[in-house]
Amino acid sequence: MEMILNTIRLINNDQNVEWNCQDVEFMEEHLAIGFINPLDFKKLYLVPSLKLHISNNHGDVIVNFKQDSKIPEGIILMPVSLWANQVTYVKNNNIIYKNIKVNVEGTRDPPTKLNELIEKIKSDKI
Amino acid sequence: MSEQLKITCSGCSLLCDDIIIIKDDKEIKEILGACQKGINKFNQIKSKNRILSPLYKDKGGLKVLEWDLALNKAIQIIKNAKKPLIYGLSTISCESQILALKIAKKIDAFIDSNSTICQGKFLNIASEMGITTTTLTEIINKSDLIILWGTNIVESIPRLFSKILFSRGKFRMTGREIKNLIIVDIYKTASFKVMGTRDLAIIIRPNEDIELIKILKKAVKGDYTFPNEGISGIDKQDLERFKTFLLNSEHITILPGQALLNQKTNGDAIKELLELVNLLNNIKNNGRISLLMVGGHYNMVGFEHMALSETGKNQSIQFKNGESIKSDDNIISKIQKEDFDLSIIIGTDPISHFPLEISKILSSKPIILIDNKKSGTFLIATLILPTSITGIENKGLAFRLDHVPIQLKKIIEPPSLIQSDYELLQKILDRLNK
Ligand code: SF4
Repeated sequence: MEMILNTIRLINNDQNVEWNCQDVEFMEEHLAIGFINPLDFKKLYLVPSLKLHISNNHGDVIVNFKQDSKIPEGIILMPVSLWANQVTYVKNNNIIYKNIKVNVEGTRDPPTKLNELIEKIKSDKI
Repeated sequence: MSEQLKITCSGCSLLCDDIIIIKDDKEIKEILGACQKGINKFNQIKSKNRILSPLYKDKGGLKVLEWDLALNKAIQIIKNAKKPLIYGLSTISCESQILALKIAKKIDAFIDSNSTICQGKFLNIASEMGITTTTLTEIINKSDLIILWGTNIVESIPRLFSKILFSRGKFRMTGREIKNLIIVDIYKTASFKVMGTRDLAIIIRPNEDIELIKILKKAVKGDYTFPNEGISGIDKQDLERFKTFLLNSEHITILPGQALLNQKTNGDAIKELLELVNLLNNIKNNGRISLLMVGGHYNMVGFEHMALSETGKNQSIQFKNGESIKSDDNIISKIQKEDFDLSIIIGTDPISHFPLEISKILSSKPIILIDNKKSGTFLIATLILPTSITGIENKGLAFRLDHVPIQLKKIIEPPSLIQSDYELLQKILDRLNK
């Protein structure tokens, strides 16, 4: 399903804090996450055990999700992080952090691990 | 023996100077008055992710180096580079920023701060059109309307509201009672929780802020009726109230956020907002409307001042033959064009902030990381030089978000053999000058 992704700063999902605690699992739990409206949860045929596969022309990532009725339908919010960086991009020398078109679907695959993201950065493949 | 000190927190650009700590000779025992983010900053002192020795990555992985060897290595890497980049600089003191600029000059580097991908975009446009800014003191004493536009202050600069919204000022003796709040955002962020009945919550459709600004410009000029169906998801009645607030408040402060910087047409929303501000300042007979930038890093503003005074440019500075030359690049375009062969990253974590395509290019060339903590960039850096934490383990000057200089104190000793950014950059400069 096509959605609009916006990255945001959240005090409880702040990469600065997560790096500080250095517990990779805790970091993955708090940063590999997308927030969506419960109506989108239904539209995506999600069940709590599924994860979200988020993709666009720039890359893809798998994250956990939380439902939040404050979020408008069709919008997915993610904390600024290595996970969100998989779908952000550059336009006219600026990083686009907001209003990013993405495709979102449920998946049984686990959230992308920190070391997978680092390996992706290090690999030659574009 | 323990003592009590009043200090400044360098957890964010608000630089709260009312934090009380209780400490003994070795460590801070208690912190009073800091927010969650501030506490996290103090927690960095003993965090598991402190970097406590220089590290060099070779084929066998990360190796601990003696300081002398590490500095020689740094000089060797820098001297081998023809097109170095220096990036970050928003979490070091002004004194260290000046040294980084001197190093950039010495090695003909391109130097840029985090501001380039944040409030710097605003300042670039403002440099062509002019900008009316303000200070915290002025907001506290005079503002009767505060507008948060696309920024969730409660989670990014947590104590800002307690300073500017919930405070009493010389001309605002009743405090919150007389201070109104408008928040424009695409959803009800945590910042909306402070809103009262007189405040105005504007939930706007994503990417349509520019339409709202344009229509407000028309409305405040008079002779304009809002469409019955409203615009961008906002009711006509709320649009009317927005206009009334703008025309009838005496001293208005707008806090613009990333949402305005990331609109579909780059920069246009900023231009429109600056025009709205200028327009209102011309219309209003008393008071004024101004902007307060809310970049998060504690000394992002400092770099703008240091760079401006040293080079005449506030960011994105290219040196050639020891002189700053004209360049239309910023850190992103330099990396995207692969117009670099080394990056020196100081006090920041681009790998956790840059899109994958940019991080991949950045990581394909050597990286010297100067920082006090592990991060995404730490995981791919070639040479890592640890430093102490400014405002806790060493002193220095920083500029608050409203451009007011604040002196940060040294409170405790840094870990053994860990020097400040200033000391480290001075050593690098001395060795380069030899
Ligand atoms: S608001 Fe910023 S400066 Fe003030 S205590 Fe919190 S982190 Fe520190």
